[in-house]
Formats: sequence, C-alpha cells, structure tokens
Amino acid sequence: MAMFSQNPIMNGPNYSFSDTPKVNAPEGARQHRFDPYTDNGGSTLAIAGKDFTIMAGDTRLTSGYSINSRYHPKVFKIGGTTADQKDASIVLSVVGFAADGEALKERLDAICKMYRYRHGKAMSVKACAQRLSTILYQKRFFPYYTYAILGGLDEEGNGAVYSYDPVGSYEREQCRAGGAAASLIMPFLDNQVNFKNQYVPGSGEGHALQERPRNPLSRTEVEILVKDAFDGAVERHIEVGDGLQMMVITKDGIEEILLPLKRD
Amino acid sequence: MDHRPQAWGRPRDDIYGAYDGSYLQTTGPKQNTQAPVVTGTSVVALKFKDGVVIAADNLASYGSLARFTDVKRLRVFLDTSVVGFGGDVSDMQYLDRHLNELAIDESYETDPSAPDAGALNAANLHKYLQKLMYKRRNDFDPLWNQILVAGLDSGSKPFLASVDLRGTAFSSPSLASGFGAALAQPIMRKYAATEEDAAKLSREDAVKVVQECMKVLYYRDARSMDKYSIAVVTKEGVELKEDEQLEKQSWAFAERIRGYGTQTV
Amino acid sequence: MSSPFSINGGAAVAMVGKDCVAIACDLRLGLQSLTVSNNFPKIFQYGDVFLGLTGLATDVSTVSDLFRYKVNMYRLREERDIAPSTFAHLVSSSLYEKRFGPYFVSPVVAGLDAKTGKPFICGFDSIGCIDFAKDFIVSGTATEQLFGMCESLWEPDMTPDQLFETISQALLNAVDRDALSGWGAHVYIIEKDKVTKRLLKGRQD
Repeated sequence: MAMFSQNPIMNGPNYSFSDTPKVNAPEGARQHRFDPYTDNGGSTLAIAGKDFTIMAGDTRLTSGYSINSRYHPKVFKIGGTTADQKDASIVLSVVGFAADGEALKERLDAICKMYRYRHGKAMSVKACAQRLSTILYQKRFFPYYTYAILGGLDEEGNGAVYSYDPVGSYEREQCRAGGAAASLIMPFLDNQVNFKNQYVPGSGEGHALQERPRNPLSRTEVEILVKDAFDGAVERHIEVGDGLQMMVITKDGIEEILLPLKRD
Repeated sequence: MDHRPQAWGRPRDDIYGAYDGSYLQTTGPKQNTQAPVVTGTSVVALKFKDGVVIAADNLASYGSLARFTDVKRLRVFLDTSVVGFGGDVSDMQYLDRHLNELAIDESYETDPSAPDAGALNAANLHKYLQKLMYKRRNDFDPLWNQILVAGLDSGSKPFLASVDLRGTAFSSPSLASGFGAALAQPIMRKYAATEEDAAKLSREDAVKVVQECMKVLYYRDARSMDKYSIAVVTKEGVELKEDEQLEKQSWAFAERIRGYGTQTV
Repeated sequence: MSSPFSINGGAAVAMVGKDCVAIACDLRLGLQSLTVSNNFPKIFQYGDVFLGLTGLATDVSTVSDLFRYKVNMYRLREERDIAPSTFAHLVSSSLYEKRFGPYFVSPVVAGLDAKTGKPFICGFDSIGCIDFAKDFIVSGTATEQLFGMCESLWEPDMTPDQLFETISQALLNAVDRDALSGWGAHVYIIEKDKVTKRLLKGRQD
C-alpha cells in the first residue's frame, strides 16, 4: 500500500528529530569520563583514654605531588549549639577526598544540631556514631570517599573512639589510625597502646608467657605517642606533614592543640 | 513526495540513507560536559598586609591553538571580591552570568550605604561557589574550572581560597591553579610561606612578586600569553587592570637551553 | 596482588646499633592468601655477611644459592672472606645483569666490616640500585608497617640487647598488621666476635 502513497512509510524511519537513528560512536573513541573523586592525602589518629579521647590529624592537603594547602584541618568539633562549636562534646576526623569529607562533616553537624533542637539535649557519642554509619550507608552506591573516625566520651565518661569505612561499617575501638599513613601508624599503636607482643619478663615460656598488663595511659603519655607516631609518618610519607592538629576531649570540654610538623 | 515540513530540503532517505540526528537527540541519556574545550591557563594570587593580589593572563586556548587573546578571566563581584577562573571558558562565562545575577539580587536585598550591611564578602562567595561546584560534581555535570576567590573575610582580614571542579576547597597565603601550582607557588612561598609572613608583606612587594610569577609562567607555560589582568583587593575596594603587558622580559636563558637528555648540539 | 613481589609474602629488616648490627625476617611462605609453610627463613649467611631476601619465593631460593656459589668462588680465588660492602656491590652488579628480566627479590645486606668493625647495612631494588642507610633497611610485603615501626622505635647507638628488643618488636608488630607475613621470625644479632640467632614464635594466625 505504502508504495502508492504520497507519504513515507509510517512504520519505517520517520523524519521527526526523535525518530532519527543514532549512529553509535566507534567503541572507546573520545570517551573521556569525569572522575568525581581524588585522594587528598593526609592521615588521622584517635586514641581513647580512661577519661579522655585524643583525636589528631595532620593539616596538609595534597593532590598528586602538589601541596595545595599547609593548613587544612581534618579534625572537627561536631554538634555544638553555635557555629563556633564552643559547647561541642563530639569530634569527627575525616581523611580521603576532602570535598566529601567536608560535606560529610556538615551533614553530621546539621543532624546533631537538629537533634539538640528537637530533644533539648546533646546527642550521645553512641547515637551519633550509629547515625554517622547510616549517613555513610545512604550513599552506598556513590559513596563519600572518606575514612571517618568519631571520638568523644561515653555515658560512663570513658573515652570512646568509633572508626568507619567509606560505606558505613563501624566499630568501637581503643585506638585507630586512618588515611595515607594508617599502615605506618597502626602497628605502632598496637605495640604502644595495646602493648601487643609485650610480655612480662621471666614469666615463662610458650603459653605460660604472661602478657604485659594493659594499664590505661595518661593524657601526657598519649600526647607524646601521637606526636611520635606522626613524626614517623612525616619522615616516610610524602602526603603527611606541615602541622599536627590535636583535639583533647575531656569532661571539661575540648582543648585544641596545634603543633608544627616538618614541611618538606 | 513528502510534503511534511520536517522533510523539506532533505536528501531522500531511500537514496541517501536516514539522516544522522544523534547530535540533536532530545531523548536518551543527558549529555554533560565530559572535557573542557576552550581553556584558560593558570591563575595566581598572593595575600599581603591589607589585601590580596590576583592575576591571570588574557588568553583562551583551543587545545594548543591560542584562539582568543582578549578574554578577561578576572571578575569583580560586588566591588568587594575578585574571582579568577582557570579551565573551561564556557563554564566560566556561565558562572559569570550566574554571579552577575546573584550580585544584582544581592544589591536589592542589602543597603549599600550602611557599612557592612551583610553584603556577601569573599568568604561567603567562596562558600557559595564551593557548594555550587560540589553539587554539580554530585550530578556528574561538573563545571570544568579551578576558581580562586580573593577579597576580605567577615573580620575584614585578607581572604584567599580556591575551589575546583570536584568541589574541593582550600585556602593558603598564596595560591596558583594549573601550571602555576608548579611554577608560581615556589616563588610566592619564598615571600609568604606562612600567614604571618603574608601579613608583613607590603602591597608593592606583593604586586612585584605576582608580576614575576606571570613572567615565569609566560616563559615556561606554552598555553600562556604576555597580556594579562591583575587586581588588587583591599578594604578600599578593587583595583582591576585588564590590559597589562609583561615587562622586562629576558629570553637570554633560552639560547642556553640545549634540549633535555639526548640533544647535545 | 598478581605482582610477583606479593604472591608468596614475607618481610625482612636490618638495623644498626653501637658496634653491632641486626637482621631479621618472618617465616611465612604462602600462595596468595593460603599459607603453605611456616618455616621458610629469608636470611642467608655467607661467612660474616648476612643477606635477607624477600619477594618471589622461587627467586629467593635461586638468588640465595647463586650468591652462595659466588661467595664461595670469591673465597677460593681471593683466599679471604668477602667484606659486607664488597658483597653489596656483588649483589648490585649481579641483579643489574638481569636488568630486563629481573629476579623478583628485594635484598637486604647486613654485617660488620672485618677490619674496622664498622656496622654496615644496605638494601636494594630488584635491579640492583643500592640504598646505603645509616639506620635501618626494610623489605617485603610489610614495608609500610616496618617503616612506621622502625621510624618510631629506632634510636642511635643501641647495645646488642636493646637492638634485639627493638628489631624484634618492630618486625613482630609490623607483620601482625600484614596478612601476607608472620608465622614466627628469625633474628640475628651480629657483634665483633659473636653472632646470636634467636627464633621468635610470634602470632600463629
């Protein structure tokens, strides 16, 4: 029928823009995809003491071999009443992709502030830790490319550290290192905080050996450990350096300490 | 004969094959910027005692072709801040229009006669641009730029910060995008390694250092030009010069270059 | 994980003390994540010189045998033991001979100079570039962990006993954070006229 018609065959290709056939570009030709992630280097560290928690991070921000900034904090107070976070009691450290880290920090801070507004009290670290896991998992298929550590004091007033992977798996721990130099710092922490591989001299052989008892470390001891850990990391990792930011969380509030690190 | 207007003036399908209209497809996946096209190179900026100096050359390149030689890549915002753009020029122009709109809206909202009436300062503007850039990267539709924002913060102290196409934001006493990160930053850091050093730097010295940086960049960055814009932001406002020429060039070093590695003659 | 350097796993470390040096290694041999032996030492003694070899296990055996042969030939020809620094250059040139088809090993050399008694340690990449270090050398799949441990535990002029404690703690804690190393360790403390070899049990998991 169509061959006698003045109109083109209606079941064939049409002239409308949306009906024109697409010519497939040759496979792999000029296919430049946008990569939404970068690694901004840096390292973080958290240690829980008996009645305090220390959160620390270096302040260098890198991309590739360039140092973008020598002072870009990775450790933040979370959930205070005001923007200056004067009355905050929880600290978050983020390392990995800086833009995601900042977005994550601002999300968690806003949520903590909303909680305070709705419930008339500050969020507990335990609740905040669970909520942070949920936030991270909500972006399971386009994750925040960050390794987060949350620190504070639990209901009994003991130091508490929660560490996360980028999609929200989390665990409460005594201590944790994160970021570029995590693999350099973590075994040092095992040895010096949890006294791993240390035994009581002359306590026997083989299974009779007695592990060195784990007495809780004092605040000054922990501060020295943190400094030593970072001095080691700075020496052997190019993405770590410039400054060391420490937040000490006690029942009296949060004290911030800034120390210099090597800038080379 | 097909009389429908869509077919007017078209080669016949049965002879020439169907027209390839893939480029004007309105359905199917949305196409976003996947690569920059016309680009601007480095932007350099340095803080000093009571403000910030920022500079960028006036070239827009199309690949290796020096395509547009009179493109102004420094933009004044509300007479208080300067934004310097590197990267894609069309995205820069989009942002320029957008910031213009924002500035007009802002001028209606605030009373300019009242000092510090809450008008957007450079720190506010930077935060705004950071959120904008981060949103666009989350939508996989990035604005392909690295942006430097120069001005004063809410405490009237010199402010200088950067944001890139992924929404990564940072600040430093001196900043440089693109090639400048490798060539200009080491020069600027000699004069202002820390905020304290920058706070001692005079305006004249800062301008001189930035001019020196522009010269080094012109020597070694093949996508750069000797015509540039330079702006100084202080409490008094913005002084922008958009038609500067690099002075006291010395290409004497060039004849001593004897290739790299294998070339010996 | 398909890198030849990380198929079998393993770690080695050497350290300098006051008039003494130490060298230590783990004992694991694996095939990716499967452990097949917990008695595969990676330190080899040639007279007064000690060589630690990590990397591909087959190359560890081949290269250790190759240097036993070369050192024996040196002793027969020269009628004296090889000095640590001489041995280091022998290792370097032997590896560079295979520049375009290298042995997949990262060697570590430790010893005391027979004449001066001066401590000597050095490390290499797989094609023979020598890293002369004054403090410590690490190699293997736990290098990052070892760097972290050594950088924080090591200090100059340690006595043999202090050196033993330091190198042991450095190795043990490093391999405990590396899935491909561990299962016990060998530690050699080398003094002027005494070599002490100790076997450490370590974690067995």
